[in-house]
Amino acid sequence: MKKNIRNFCIIAHIDHGKSTLADRLMEQTGSVAKRDMQSQLLDSMELEREKGITIKLTPTRMKYEQSGEEFVLNLIDTPGHVDFTYEVSRSLAACEGAILIVDASQGVEAQTLANAYMAIDANLEILPVINKIDLPSAQIEKCKQEIEDVIGIPADHAPCISAKDGTNISEVLEKIVTEFPAPKGDENAPLKALVFDSFYDNFKGAICLIRIFDGSVKVGDKIDFMQAGKRFEVTEVGVFTPKMEMAESLSAGEVGYLAASIKSLSDVHVGDTITLVDNPTLDPLPGYKLVQPVVYCGVFAVDGSRYNDLKEALLKLKLNDASLQFTPENSTALGFGFRCGFLGLLHLEIITERIEREFNLEIITTAPSVSYKVIKTNGEEVEISNPSNLPNPVEIAQILEPMVVASLFSPPEYVGAIMELCQEKRGIYKNLVYLDKSRVRIDYRLPLGEIIYDFFDKLKSATKGFASFDYQMDGMLESKLVKLDILLKGERCDALSLIVHESSAYARGRAIVEKLKKIIPRQLFEVPIQAAIGNKIIARETISALRKDVLAKCYGGDVTRKRKLLEKQKEGKKRMRQIGSVEIPSEAFLSILKLDEDK
Amino acid sequence: MIGIYVHIPFCESKCVYCAFASFVKDESFQSDYFEFLNKEIRTCKFEDRQVSSIYFGGGTPSCVKPEKIVEVLTTIKNNFKVSENAEITIECNPCSTSLEKLEAYHSAGFNRISFGVQSLDSKMLKFLGRRHDKAQALDAIKKAKAAGFENISADLLLGLPKERVLKDAKCLMRQGVKHISAYMLQLEEGTKLKSLVEGGEVELPSEDKVVKTYQKLCKLLQKNGFAQYEISNFAQNGFKSQHNYAYWTGRAYLGFGLGAHSFDGAFVRWANADNFEDYFLGKQNKECLSPAQRDEEIVMLGLRCDAGFDKTKLSFDIEKVPAFKQLLANNILIQKGNKVFLNPTYYNISNSVIIKLLP
Repeated sequence: MKKNIRNFCIIAHIDHGKSTLADRLMEQTGSVAKRDMQSQLLDSMELEREKGITIKLTPTRMKYEQSGEEFVLNLIDTPGHVDFTYEVSRSLAACEGAILIVDASQGVEAQTLANAYMAIDANLEILPVINKIDLPSAQIEKCKQEIEDVIGIPADHAPCISAKDGTNISEVLEKIVTEFPAPKGDENAPLKALVFDSFYDNFKGAICLIRIFDGSVKVGDKIDFMQAGKRFEVTEVGVFTPKMEMAESLSAGEVGYLAASIKSLSDVHVGDTITLVDNPTLDPLPGYKLVQPVVYCGVFAVDGSRYNDLKEALLKLKLNDASLQFTPENSTALGFGFRCGFLGLLHLEIITERIEREFNLEIITTAPSVSYKVIKTNGEEVEISNPSNLPNPVEIAQILEPMVVASLFSPPEYVGAIMELCQEKRGIYKNLVYLDKSRVRIDYRLPLGEIIYDFFDKLKSATKGFASFDYQMDGMLESKLVKLDILLKGERCDALSLIVHESSAYARGRAIVEKLKKIIPRQLFEVPIQAAIGNKIIARETISALRKDVLAKCYGGDVTRKRKLLEKQKEGKKRMRQIGSVEIPSEAFLSILKLDEDK
Repeated sequence: MIGIYVHIPFCESKCVYCAFASFVKDESFQSDYFEFLNKEIRTCKFEDRQVSSIYFGGGTPSCVKPEKIVEVLTTIKNNFKVSENAEITIECNPCSTSLEKLEAYHSAGFNRISFGVQSLDSKMLKFLGRRHDKAQALDAIKKAKAAGFENISADLLLGLPKERVLKDAKCLMRQGVKHISAYMLQLEEGTKLKSLVEGGEVELPSEDKVVKTYQKLCKLLQKNGFAQYEISNFAQNGFKSQHNYAYWTGRAYLGFGLGAHSFDGAFVRWANADNFEDYFLGKQNKECLSPAQRDEEIVMLGLRCDAGFDKTKLSFDIEKVPAFKQLLANNILIQKGNKVFLNPTYYNISNSVIIKLLP
């Protein structure tokens, strides 16, 4: 039985056609009737479909017949974004093979390489597939050559397909069976199952997506999550077709799901090993890691009275996304809200957008920050993810900031611009390789804090969108960082504080006060805007007092029109936040991130 | 005691900045309008019949035949009890004002004239689409005095290109006007002026400059015995506009004619349709004010003028609004007993103050 199972995933750079190929495979194996096909079936969340990216993994079991033999193909979809690297690595660990899609018109990109390396590290058999051969700009041979040169795997046998119009999909299916190994493992050994994802079901509780390596599991089994140290009784097992379909049991080599009346997703850790309480395995699966947020920001309701709605929204989102972290935060400027931790900027963007869309809540987010490690002069070590909590400079012995290693792929003409950008972002040069005449790979070690600021936008504009970029976390590094405070009419606005490198503090301070001067409307009084490091003012602008705010004449007793104009103005004021006696618009809090826009 | 407003929606031509209900129409159309207008007044059932002020505005009331105007005033007098000392105003355009007309108005009972002078720069007037020049404006004031009017008001526009409103105000005071209204030019949607400014063909003075001029004008008028009793209105002792005052102090008023607005003095506002077709069908828009809306009006209207507002008339406790104390402390608001006033120095930013006070 096991010899007729193939567990595989599809990996690709964004937009190279991963989801479209998955759709085709399901269609050709009859896993979904054509009339039920909704384009990109696996990307089930509305937001994912809109952004054209896959965030959540949804596995699918397909039946496929070859030479009279029936095979079970388990496709484990992976999120293609750097924010979810750990999830990807666990999904890969559940597979024996990986289809590596490369867009024939684009060639190897940053994520192609990052994902391919991860698959190689996971000892997967890799099947390159050249996609989008229907495009006039497709360069099949060049693309194959790039795969061989850059990634270092043979590509002469790669199927050349068009997932869009269905060309050569059967060749891919054939190769899945012939190229990828069947799973190994012993059905009779103690249970050893990998949790590679989870989601929350309102009726069944937390659902674990699992790959069985050894043994088997069935309803009624008492199980043990080895890392979390939690025990449950299995209430349901099954497979995805892609709908959930109950099964009697799951055994070695199989991929499926398990429910056990688990009340909270926080008990289910991706990467954990499940075993049986009565007959436990001695060695859990390797590679387990507790995922920690890397990007933090404050989240507040625009209408301060909706704090409880915001809390409700975050709790509900957390049910389905254990990686979201939040703790209550009180800001003098923004009132009560939450400091939220995310896996990355995309994760941040998705969560904040879901709060607004699914819970109909308007929110203010403060500038994203990374988590710094501060060693105080008294030897105490603290993690700081909210800039306004940074201790007084005299108490700080050392600040360390998180670093990443970044690989950038680009046509050679932009090398200069990329290096300049990385240098400006305090990058440490590592390596430069000419892959062929038209492509260069550049490696830099960069502070994460610089990447979450405006790196993507600047890279895009510096390379006209031709460069691609991926990164991995790479430890901490001591750095000369300072807290930049913004004062409005002499009062510090905590929600606008930033931690920046000493060398850029003046420029950032100046740019921020200039930007705020444009954004904050005139008030009844003159409002000085200052940027300060500690007690030292480094930049100042002044908003002069409001001069004219008066309604037109009250003609012929038309009071209603006047009142409506006033009400409109009053409505606009609800979006304003009060700092001391100064009113500032909600947009101001994020605008300080987009300082170059007007230049 | 109520005020009555009569709207005469006709003009000889349309000015570049005008967004009001005014139209260029022939005489037979005008006759139909007046017939309907008189009927409207005759059939009005409003309970309070005691009238303390009447105001004929437009459009340009002086551009229609004076008999028509006199006829409407007579209708009002026949159907309401008009106080003996009632203020009865007619808006006039300096160019359509002959001595005969002015005498006809005066003998019919009008006792106040409001001239739409706007500027005394003949070139500017031409640009604005006004049909008079400086000489005609000054001549009209002279004729009004000759016809027996003492209470003469002149409108000026603030914020025109090549601002010279201070000079114009001085000139008008020398001519003996008793009341000056100085409105800041507003760029209204759909006006010719707006498209000229947006197209870069006309450059208006900056907001800061306009406000500076406005403040200078307030000072100049004050010095010459014209007290500022509202954001845009200045009068010598005894010459405040009673009719406009009624709007700001929440008294009842009835509006007759195209697009005219009425208020019952408590919670109901209604307005006639502002297109002829619907107006002739008697269509109206009615609105009942919620207590919160009435509060907004009391604060908004009271702070526009020297009448202030009575804080006990509000449905909420203004003392609990945090900004209230702050504004008093900063001398932006002034409190006398239960009355609250806006410091005239801050008239130019009245909206921001009003909004701060509303819950």
